[in-house]
Amino acid sequence: MEIRFTLNNNKVTSAIEPNLRLIDLLRDKFNLTGTKEGCSIGECGACTVIMNGKAVNSCLVFAGQCEGAEIITIEGIEKDGKLHPLQENFLKSGAVQCGFCTPGMIMSAYALLMENPTPTEEEIKDAIAGNLCRCTGYKQIIDAVEKSAKEVVR
Amino acid sequence: MIPVKEILMPKSVDEVCRLIRDNNGLSKIIAGGTDIIPGFHIESPRFENIERLIDINNVDELKSVSIDNNIITIGSAITFSEIISSQILSEKLPLLVKASKTIGSTQIRNRATLGGNFINNAPCADSVAPLLVYDSEVKIKSFTAERIMKLQDFLVKPYGTRLKPDEIVSQIIVPVPAKSFRGDFYKLGRRRAVSISRISLAILLDVDNGLINQIKIASGAVTPIGTRFYDVELFAKGKNFTDESMKEISIKLGERILQVSGVRWSSEYKIPVVQQVCYQLLKKIERGENLI
Repeated sequence: MEIRFTLNNNKVTSAIEPNLRLIDLLRDKFNLTGTKEGCSIGECGACTVIMNGKAVNSCLVFAGQCEGAEIITIEGIEKDGKLHPLQENFLKSGAVQCGFCTPGMIMSAYALLMENPTPTEEEIKDAIAGNLCRCTGYKQIIDAVEKSAKEVVR
Repeated sequence: MIPVKEILMPKSVDEVCRLIRDNNGLSKIIAGGTDIIPGFHIESPRFENIERLIDINNVDELKSVSIDNNIITIGSAITFSEIISSQILSEKLPLLVKASKTIGSTQIRNRATLGGNFINNAPCADSVAPLLVYDSEVKIKSFTAERIMKLQDFLVKPYGTRLKPDEIVSQIIVPVPAKSFRGDFYKLGRRRAVSISRISLAILLDVDNGLINQIKIASGAVTPIGTRFYDVELFAKGKNFTDESMKEISIKLGERILQVSGVRWSSEYKIPVVQQVCYQLLKKIERGENLI
């Protein structure tokens, strides 16, 4: 089947097998390998992308369900070669160690800031509850999101 | 990955009904996909012989919430995030909203739907206990007919319901409880987020002049499917609402759950915990820390 959707602000078309998952479409057809596959069952959040303004696990969406959708991946949040404040602050706050969870973590935080530009610590924790990090611990990650919220609002 | 011939995205319930009628049971409806897609991925026998998926996320009438004459109608494809942000549901059905907040993660709640939760009918489906104490009904449609059934009659066994291959649950119909009811929901999982329920309980209680006028109790996860306990409710009716009767009700509930579920390796520790959860919920309602 053929699907049309918006990927990182570009209108795209792709011929796919109907049972292809969104994560496979992104990684294998569009070479957007920033989105990671961890658990494949929606528990780790490494594959988080934004679909129609909401954070979703791309391992739990069929590509065939994305007709007409707007998808944003980690590759789509920098602007003119400049990192998004979330990306900057993850680096500065030491919120990245092995980096495998980082794209998903940032996309969950990005979705949060789209809806709620001034989140409390509890709201940040809730937003990233579906993203597992096994290296750094979550403190630095929460700090990075808090810092970014302040900068994005300004 | 189980192969599929096509995924269709109809825009109306009629169109959905026509598509599931025409394909002789080889079509399956998909909404959030949070259960179906991992099942397809591991080639689960539960999803064998499906040729076509009918995605219902674009059907507006399956996503709406309305209230008329104290009857709330919820479209079956509403996501848990949409339930949480619904003003009507937060105000009128707080137990359902509280249960919805405990489901999965933000990413899961953004996709997973209310209908999918109880149609899949896993023992741990968190929406079921609240829907049962609210005396919910389901509206079921096929191309030629429509029927309404009590949710508890609709749910048959783990992963089994009365839904036929050519039918869709279009709406959930919930009468708003009388203002005199108070209630709460509690879920016990192995961790605080993204957890599968081990025990859940929903209670609605109407106390009049210190007497239990009516109580409604439903469990999840600790019984094979979400279950209402009418005999315990009857046992409690008319008793003084005291610490002693709360203990009696909690002990009775544990005994009944043991009868329903049978003795398991986990019974020895689970039953006392269920009883304690029941007692604590009743205490919370007594103290006025409850939701309604």
